[in-house]
Amino acid sequence: MIFGNIDWPLIGEATIDTLLMTGFSLFFTVLIGLPLGVILFLTSRHQMLDNAPVYQVLSFIVNVLRSVPFLILLIVMIPMTRVLAGTSLGVQGAIPPLVASAAPFFARLVENVLRELDPGVSEACRAMGANSRQTVLMALIPEATTGIVAAVIVTAIALVGYSAMSGVIGGGGLGDLALRFGYQRYQTDVMIVTVVILVVMVQLLQVFGDRLVARLNRK
Amino acid sequence: MFLKKIAPALALSVAAVFAATAAHAEKLSVAATPVPHAELLEFVKPTLAKQGVELDIKVFTDYVQPNQQVADGQIDVNFFQHLPYLDSFNKEHKTKLVAVGQVHVEPFGAYSSKIKDIKDLKDGAQVALPNDPSNGARALLLLQKQGLIKLKDPGNILATSRDIVENPKKLKFRELEAATLPRVLPDVDVALINTNYALEAGLNPVKDALFIEGSDSPYANIVVTTEAKRKDPGIKKLVQALNSAEVKQFINDKYKGAIVPAF
Repeated sequence: MIFGNIDWPLIGEATIDTLLMTGFSLFFTVLIGLPLGVILFLTSRHQMLDNAPVYQVLSFIVNVLRSVPFLILLIVMIPMTRVLAGTSLGVQGAIPPLVASAAPFFARLVENVLRELDPGVSEACRAMGANSRQTVLMALIPEATTGIVAAVIVTAIALVGYSAMSGVIGGGGLGDLALRFGYQRYQTDVMIVTVVILVVMVQLLQVFGDRLVARLNRK
Repeated sequence: MFLKKIAPALALSVAAVFAATAAHAEKLSVAATPVPHAELLEFVKPTLAKQGVELDIKVFTDYVQPNQQVADGQIDVNFFQHLPYLDSFNKEHKTKLVAVGQVHVEPFGAYSSKIKDIKDLKDGAQVALPNDPSNGARALLLLQKQGLIKLKDPGNILATSRDIVENPKKLKFRELEAATLPRVLPDVDVALINTNYALEAGLNPVKDALFIEGSDSPYANIVVTTEAKRKDPGIKKLVQALNSAEVKQFINDKYKGAIVPAF
């Protein structure tokens, strides 16, 4: 039998683990990364809150987190993960390192999206007497929505990929299954099935994201 | 000219000395990996010389050549592997090598930062295992020996957590990268850890392990030769020397629990 090694309930469980890991991490990534991106943008040169020291420090932290290989982050963060998630194991244990790795990435994307906006919008807001908070909430974010949604989708897909490495800390998920059975035990069928599910997942995310962006653009 | 005259005489006198100390000097070549196998062989070399066996230790760093060379008759004995490895080697290479004695185990142990005795293990406890095939199975076999689980095929050296047929304590298994296991110890009830990783993490296999593979481990390192040479007196002397009280002392003193005698 070609698919003799496949344990469908196990695959189902792994699929759910991957979805949980990606979903929760994405939520916290946006929660942390969006404000971080906005602050990065606002404190950069010639922007509303131009503040070189704040920008430099944040930018440095973002760069450091982005340059640490995810596998190392996963292990180095174990004590901190334990405090944040209660355990360093499993799906819960995978979320803090995933967020720590994806939030800076997402923040950079947000910063770039905001930078691409027409500076006229915020200038007009300022001219009408809006303070910087109002300008961000009423002009910048609404203007940048499509770009930010696209950034969320890019980040979500990156998270699906990163979650594959969570097997190191027993995070489970499809990538872990592909590695443990497909690679280490030469069960090619398991590898194929898990990879196909991952491809489908990423495709769905991208199609859904593209549709959403198109709809937002029409408005 | 002087040399030409003296050389045979010298050779003769050396031979005479040898003949005096060892009436029937037998040469025995042994293939071994550097640590601890070659070190143990070096340790028994003088003893064997006294018994008339001259040991020629050939150090290898791969796991195929030592068996191949013994099978081809180039080397008499080897000492580097455990029985499960020999079995799979014999099967794959159609060789008929046999084990003639076992010496030590590089033991696999169970550690916990929550409980002091395995009897205190709660129902539904989390157990962390290595996620690679050979270590994962080794961990499961050790759990089976402790009576905590039962495997579909009790001797399967490639068993996975999917092969568990009885799990009365409803233990939950987490499969992780072998080297990560000591780091997640606080998050699980029990973790099964290779001794080298346990030592690196500052755990003491002798004092800290809840239970550990003993001398009856199927993963004991063995002395291997061909079927034809299994009754060879020199090989018998080698095995005897490796299983002596002195070697036991040497292992315990030098490796401090990282490896344990299996005799």
